[in-house]
Amino acid sequence: MNRFELVEPATLDEAVALLDPDDSAVRAVAGATALILMMKARLFRPSRLVSLRRLQGTLRGVHDEPAGGLRIGALTTLTDLERSDRVRAAAPVVSRALRTLSNVRVRNVATLGGHLAHGDPHMDLPPILMTLGARVRVVSRRGDRWIEMQDLVRGYYVTSIANDELIADVHLPAQPADAHTWYEKFTALSADDWPTVGVAVWYRTGAGRITDARLAVGAATERPMRLAAAEASLIGAAADPASFARAADAAADAIEPLADIRGSAAYKREMVRVHVRRALDKGR
Amino acid sequence: MADSHPTLREIGRSLPRLESRAKVNGSVEYIHNLRLPGMLHGKIHRSAIAHGRIVRIDAGAALAVEGVHAVVTAEDVLGICPNPYYGPAFHDQPILALGKVRHVGEPVAIVLAADPHIAEEAADLVSVEYEPLEAVFDEVAAAAPGAPVSHDELRPAGTFTDLKHLAGRKGTNVALETRVRRGDADAGFARADRVFEHTFRTGKVMHAAFEPMVSLAELHGADGLTIHTASQSPSFVRSEIGRLLGWPENRVRVRTAFLGGGFGAKLYIKLEAMVAVCALLVRRPVRIALTMDEQFYTITKHGATVRIKTGVTSDGRMTSRKVETYWNGGAYADIGPRVTQKSGFTAAGPYDIESVALDNYAVYTNDPPAGALRGFGISQLVWAYERQADLIARALGIDPLEFRRRNALRSGGTHATGTTVYGMEVDAVLDRLAERMAWHRPFDRGAGTIRRGRGLAIGVKACVSPTTSTAAVHVHGDGSCAIHCSTVDMGQASDTTLAQMAAEVLGLPTTAIRLIRPDTDVTPYDMATLGSRSTFHMGNAVVRAAEDVRDQLLRIAAAALRVDLAELECRDQAIVSRGGARLTFGDAMRARFAMQAGTLVGVGSYTPHYTKPDGETGQSPDITPFWMLGGAGAEIAVDCETGRIEVTKLVNVADVGRAINPASVERQLTSAAIMQLGFTLFEEMVFSDGQVLNASLADYKIPGLLDLPRDLTGSFVEVPHRDGPFGAKGVGETGVFSPAPAIANALYDAVGITIFEMPLTPERVLRALRESENRPLEKD
Ligand SMILES: Cc1cc2nc3c(=O)[nH]c(=O)nc-3n(C[C@H](O)[C@H](O)[C@H](O)COP(=O)(O)OP(=O)(O)OC[C@H]3O[C@@H](n4cnc5c(N)ncnc54)[C@H](O)[C@@H]3O)c2cc1C
Repeated sequence: MNRFELVEPATLDEAVALLDPDDSAVRAVAGATALILMMKARLFRPSRLVSLRRLQGTLRGVHDEPAGGLRIGALTTLTDLERSDRVRAAAPVVSRALRTLSNVRVRNVATLGGHLAHGDPHMDLPPILMTLGARVRVVSRRGDRWIEMQDLVRGYYVTSIANDELIADVHLPAQPADAHTWYEKFTALSADDWPTVGVAVWYRTGAGRITDARLAVGAATERPMRLAAAEASLIGAAADPASFARAADAAADAIEPLADIRGSAAYKREMVRVHVRRALDKGR
Repeated sequence: MADSHPTLREIGRSLPRLESRAKVNGSVEYIHNLRLPGMLHGKIHRSAIAHGRIVRIDAGAALAVEGVHAVVTAEDVLGICPNPYYGPAFHDQPILALGKVRHVGEPVAIVLAADPHIAEEAADLVSVEYEPLEAVFDEVAAAAPGAPVSHDELRPAGTFTDLKHLAGRKGTNVALETRVRRGDADAGFARADRVFEHTFRTGKVMHAAFEPMVSLAELHGADGLTIHTASQSPSFVRSEIGRLLGWPENRVRVRTAFLGGGFGAKLYIKLEAMVAVCALLVRRPVRIALTMDEQFYTITKHGATVRIKTGVTSDGRMTSRKVETYWNGGAYADIGPRVTQKSGFTAAGPYDIESVALDNYAVYTNDPPAGALRGFGISQLVWAYERQADLIARALGIDPLEFRRRNALRSGGTHATGTTVYGMEVDAVLDRLAERMAWHRPFDRGAGTIRRGRGLAIGVKACVSPTTSTAAVHVHGDGSCAIHCSTVDMGQASDTTLAQMAAEVLGLPTTAIRLIRPDTDVTPYDMATLGSRSTFHMGNAVVRAAEDVRDQLLRIAAAALRVDLAELECRDQAIVSRGGARLTFGDAMRARFAMQAGTLVGVGSYTPHYTKPDGETGQSPDITPFWMLGGAGAEIAVDCETGRIEVTKLVNVADVGRAINPASVERQLTSAAIMQLGFTLFEEMVFSDGQVLNASLADYKIPGLLDLPRDLTGSFVEVPHRDGPFGAKGVGETGVFSPAPAIANALYDAVGITIFEMPLTPERVLRALRESENRPLEKD
């Protein structure tokens, strides 16, 4: 590991001021579970790390929004998220997914902000948050802006967060009472592995028909993404095995799978097919 | 022997480990935690290519980094060791790459600095220019004529006389070729009703011990060297370092502590020669500690290709078998030739087969070196012969358990090597498996997309021979006792097991016995802690040493109490006579030395009898001190849409002679099963041009708690072995033999597919399933 400067600002303003819009060797660090791996692999050589660990206040924890929904501070650990009653009530699909997201040691220190900013396509939460309609608030010296969850990760380890921006919090809108949600995580290696394929679904029904649907996939493609064709195939269809199978085929056809040590492209395509169907079915 | 001990007190009890408390509260010593004053850290610059000539090494940029003390290359090594090649079987591995590199990750230079981060950063800056050479990675291709050759000539170590004839052989990657011939296998095939022929493969995997390799060296006195190392073989390290330096062994001291796991990775020379040379060069203590990731390039388990051909009668008797095995030894032989030979001769399995021909090839490739990994090659062979056993049984319509019974090799029978078998309890193991698996009861094979199946397998190993162990038991002035031996406790409970044996002999509670950590200046020679040999070999040595010192105490007591020697025994922490007289050990010491002082030393050595096999036929009347038989049964559920296998039940049964500590034996069996479960289902080093694509625990996954079968048990059968201490045999590896084929046999039982290559990843299973349904998955 190379020599670098470690700074530990006490406020968000200070933290933002320590970032550099033009120097990608200056980076924020939160739980460090992802960043350290990149540093050990020499994929990232920092000149300065801006540690967020001393930042307090609304950057941590899960808060109710006056207009409904939740605001989750970027520094909330995955364990705190897993154990939050508010999250369990508003989006049980998130609480459940966290139980098999890496392991207790990682969850105890990893943060939601780090999870989202890393841009790794194999993360579990981005597809779920996409289907829940979450938005991310990023801050910089230039001010705040909102990024829709589905626009956050733009490519393989590429996000739309600029060098001088930090995620402050994540907004989870209130979910309609009749929303069906599910996340299907499939691991090919050990049970606590990263997903080989992760599929999140969200849909509403009325009079036996699907009225609205959101599907997203993670780990199978170079970035987590919504599956528009599969979503479209569901609208107006009955919430039954035949429509689910059609949507699964549409999803499998639409993606360009990313082969890695956990599966070839053909296998991942097949796993997307199987798990879209299963997720829709289990969401019922 | 056991039966002459009708009232065993310490043997056969599930006593807690002696070191449990210290391990839990963190006070146990690991070499990993050792820091020496004035020490430098060494970080290794490794080869980026699989095979090539070194044209130039430029250390300039590394040396320019502030804080770098030195950069060591092969040229510096030559100043200390003119012939810097080491290895237990072949002297083929240079301390640092000399002239050429033979695998990705081979150490080329060492950067020394007081700050390990500086050393690491500078190690990246060493620049090496190579002239790349063609590389070969597949063991069968590498053994073929015309393959690119990595070693100009073979350099067998002088210590093994049976390898001498190989010296100087040129132009081949086959380091060693061994044969077993019994009867005429080809004639057997001609006479057989059916002949089955298959090729099986296993991939490369890694030990993943929790404490990565670590060694420190420091100069000692005017002309000595002390090496502190997390090693399973301190005695070997001493003699090999002595040989490399041209020093007598008594100038080299090698000490170990508890090991955070070993599994065969920490044997022979790993980092010890590097730290020794560095310390001698810079005259300061030097520490090299690997990261988990570097271990993937240091030592692995052999991948193997096993071609197996078996002739059977229509009523299910195997009459003829030919097995040809290519062992992927990687770039340096390490103990590979021994794996090849000592496991290779068991390739016909625990079966009584009239004609047998076994050929084994230890092959150099340009993968990282392969060596010992819990089982020493056995599990690769069992994978092949137990998968094939099921295929044959099913083809003949015979129950797989019954097929094994019909062909079992039993005590009194003749093994393929010509040795008359003693202590191979096949029937007892099969009975226990049948009972634990409820084999004769109907089994629900599931429906729809989740199918269930069950399978079993048995495998055999011959404990490696010849080897030797020596132990000493000291009685101190106050009567307290300590065992001096070089067996390394790396989590397998050897301290407790050996203490139980000494305690039994001396009439002491096990907790009263102290074990001295292996230290070659202090503890006697032991071949190594490997191959399930310690309970048997060191156990025998410790029993003899304890008996020796006990007899000395009894003689002292006989004189002091004026009673007949035959009246006395050690019992209840004292020497007691039949008439009720009693002398504590402390009293005996006072009687002997006329003060509360002195030392009594009991010494014991053990070297089992052994006859070297014939070079042409592999025949020997006495090939092994004991056979280890292990069986496994598995029940699985297969998700037919994903190919994922869930092992719902796994039973491991071993024939252990006698369990000195039943709880430890069971833990050895279940922990081995878990390790093998990973190798069976998903562990595999993925290579591209010799580069390991998943060289970290983030991507090379080992089983976690959530992967354990709901029903996981270890079970043993006890028939005391005539030569074992209290009848005991070793058990550290037995649990790894059979789980893989048992699971694959269950897969066949569930969905009728056969996968010839380990691991059984979901993708491989799904592809085979789809193939069998005539709707194959696209290639990639
Ligand atoms: C062994 C292991 C197993 C894992 N398994 C899984 C798994 O199964 N599923 C899964 O989804 N994930 C898994 N992970 C990944 C884990 O979820 C991430 O490592 C973790 O969420 C990252 O959070 P962190 O706070 O540690 O981020 P850090 O490592 O601190 O940072 C990661 C990146 O985010 C940036 N960053 C951090 N905070 C902010 C912020 N507030 N604003 C802007 N940028 C920021 C950093 O600059 C860095 O680029 C695993 C990780 C490990 C180590």
